[in-house]
Amino acid sequence: MARLKDLLLEDSPGKRVLMLGNEAIARGVFENGIGVVTTYPGTPASEIGDSVSLAAKDAGVYMEYSTNEKVAVEVAAGAATSGVRALVAMKHVGVNVAADALMTLAYVGVRAAFIVVTADDPNCYSSQNEQDNRYYALLANLPMLEPSSPQEAKDMIGYAVEISESLELPCIIRTTTRISHTRGPVTLGKILKPNLKGKFTRDTKRFVMVPANARIQHKVLLEKMTKTAEISEESPFNFVIREGKSGIGIISSSAAYNYVLEATDMLGLDVSILKLGMTHPLPKNKIMEFMRQHNKIVIVEELEPYLELQIRALAKDSLNIQIHGRADYPELFPKYGEFSTRTVIEALGKILGKSPPIDFKEIDRKYAEASSILLPRPPILCPGCPHRASFYVIKKATGGKAVYTTDIGCYALGIQPPLQIGDILICMGASVGVASGISKAIEEDVIAVIGDSTFFHAALPGLVNAVYNNHNFVLIVLDNLTTAMTGHQPHPGTGVTGTGSPGRRVLIEDVARGCGVEYVRVVDPFDVEEAVQVLKEAIQHEGIAVLVFRSPCALLVTAEKRRKAEPIIPAEILSEKCTGCMACIRLIGCPALVPSNDKVVINDALCVGCMLCSQVCPYNAIVKAKGEDQP
Amino acid sequence: MKELNIVLAGVGGQGILLASQILGVSAVKEGFNVRVSEIHGMAQRGGAVVSHVRIGEKVYGPTVLEGNADVILGFEPLETLRNIKYASEKTLIIISKETIVPTGFSPEPVLYPNFDEIIEKIKIFTEKLLVVDALELARRAGSAITRNIVLLGALAANGILPMKNETLKDAIKELVRPAYLEMNLRAFELGYEAVKK
Repeated sequence: MARLKDLLLEDSPGKRVLMLGNEAIARGVFENGIGVVTTYPGTPASEIGDSVSLAAKDAGVYMEYSTNEKVAVEVAAGAATSGVRALVAMKHVGVNVAADALMTLAYVGVRAAFIVVTADDPNCYSSQNEQDNRYYALLANLPMLEPSSPQEAKDMIGYAVEISESLELPCIIRTTTRISHTRGPVTLGKILKPNLKGKFTRDTKRFVMVPANARIQHKVLLEKMTKTAEISEESPFNFVIREGKSGIGIISSSAAYNYVLEATDMLGLDVSILKLGMTHPLPKNKIMEFMRQHNKIVIVEELEPYLELQIRALAKDSLNIQIHGRADYPELFPKYGEFSTRTVIEALGKILGKSPPIDFKEIDRKYAEASSILLPRPPILCPGCPHRASFYVIKKATGGKAVYTTDIGCYALGIQPPLQIGDILICMGASVGVASGISKAIEEDVIAVIGDSTFFHAALPGLVNAVYNNHNFVLIVLDNLTTAMTGHQPHPGTGVTGTGSPGRRVLIEDVARGCGVEYVRVVDPFDVEEAVQVLKEAIQHEGIAVLVFRSPCALLVTAEKRRKAEPIIPAEILSEKCTGCMACIRLIGCPALVPSNDKVVINDALCVGCMLCSQVCPYNAIVKAKGEDQP
Repeated sequence: MKELNIVLAGVGGQGILLASQILGVSAVKEGFNVRVSEIHGMAQRGGAVVSHVRIGEKVYGPTVLEGNADVILGFEPLETLRNIKYASEKTLIIISKETIVPTGFSPEPVLYPNFDEIIEKIKIFTEKLLVVDALELARRAGSAITRNIVLLGALAANGILPMKNETLKDAIKELVRPAYLEMNLRAFELGYEAVKK
């Protein structure tokens, strides 16, 4: 971590270092005098905020983890309308939350640079959907840049600052997982100290969006976009590379561009490539000129046919050339998932009549044979995870017979066998609203589970709604005292700010009481007996009951022990007592419990000694190991 | 050097991302172009994790093409097999003996496939196999958490990396906590020696 902080702040222009795409974006913050950075953590965007957080104090940058993306946009917008450069980062679905603010912020514009980074997640590596946020630029009428490498990600921050300030408009930077989570060499630029002394100059007609003003500002926005189109034509990030002689041109952007470069090398294609880095508005003249110079165009892009629809529309009336892409080859360029170099090699090979130098079919055939003994390995709750205890408690208290709404976070993994708690999962905070609706529709008990950070993010309106409208269910807040899934960021319930200063701690139980919930209890889920009792009682309560299951994330606990050089003592199974009934595995499914010679043993490289298994073993065969394990 | 493609495969929590980062940082220190792909977030929680490290002038994309890995550094036998499509008959497979039984997909206890059977399946792709007892060596170095560095030592000992051992160790120094440095350097040596013997 010390290394990363140094890299973020080091004022040695020209030095070449390895950086994650998201770290490069954070470096861009410090090189461009950005004074306010806000975010809500979400993969694949999390490391942007986390990196800024490490170095913000030293650099004189104000950084915060806001309670959600809408608040993050509003905080950053307040700074940028007051003349302080601001950046806000979020994952793709975060923009849905922030969209209300963003759509109208486009009308009023900004006075200093305002950058929105959206990190999309093709293939849903860590997301509930794979929406293509490039359409937000079209919808909001905002300029958009799409980097293809960590270097470009950093360089585009400077360019976005320039565009944003010349137009007084927010600028969107759209990455994908393969940009945000790729490390590559980055050449550092000069550090520019932020100016945090802004000034809010009153301009009611511009900043107060009552209908009469909004009608006018909409026109102002559209005029600005005409200027933005001119900028896009001249943008150094829209360029032609490899001017080939075959008459074939390829148009691409973002991660797909990298695959195009490698695929054309592999296939030995003599093609020109138009690389688009500023993709809203598109450089229409530049694209037309490129198309005129070629007789065949292939458009290569992941997810939605964002470029293709616009480019086909451009060519439709005036050009008589062949355009290929998803429209005519949907099986080669799937609209779902992510591409790879193989996707593009196979697609270009088929479309342009070149056979790939690698026999992929043979690889697939051999892999089918080799992988016949493979077992799936989905992500799981970690050994020692308090959520495992919580789900065991919930299952025990309800007999698995209730309907369980769940939410976004590690605890979504509770759907897996043997615990299987989680019947519907939509988006941040939805466990609460959906539970309200289900409780109106069915006779059975309804249990909603939500994480601590998610509770603050989006559960409050749902909870107030449930109390106000007399809904009847139990809301269990799984409070592991951190935002675990995205890398252990603080939240209001931790009482620590984004830059590690003390903040005012907001307790979930106080919030619940303040919202009018009459039945509120805090329990430790590792105290299984007590927690089961409390949950049974809560179910009997007429109206909304809120239970806070509080126990720190196991990863934090073990990290803390390692830091203090304290031993991590695993559990041990007394083989003379173990009957091999496998109850422990069938009841809690911890990865550290391993069947071996008709009994169960503990994998002591995984076990962190939470001792949940000892509470479920019918033969009392599980105890703390004697002696000290290594740190 | 034309291009070097390394696939690191294992289970979330085994230190794969750190190992990849050490390779990437040391490559940049020696002036190479490099791409490292990582998977973070939910995919990381005890699930199958794979990371790609690509070194070479014409490397653009972050991921290795099927059949194009020079080395697969396998942190876990099943995960090595899961990623075997990146191998060809020229690929070297370095495989750690540490097994982690997968869970989360069956309500019943899961029996891990026989190690020799996994090796047989890997041999459908390549005969170039090197088995390392990384967990045991890591414990000898001081802690199971250094298994990733043991494997880096084993990789370095094969002489495939264009980076010097000293540069790799410099990267380790930069990236691990000072309190664990000695333990990790010991792990590197143990992995290196295990192969050299």
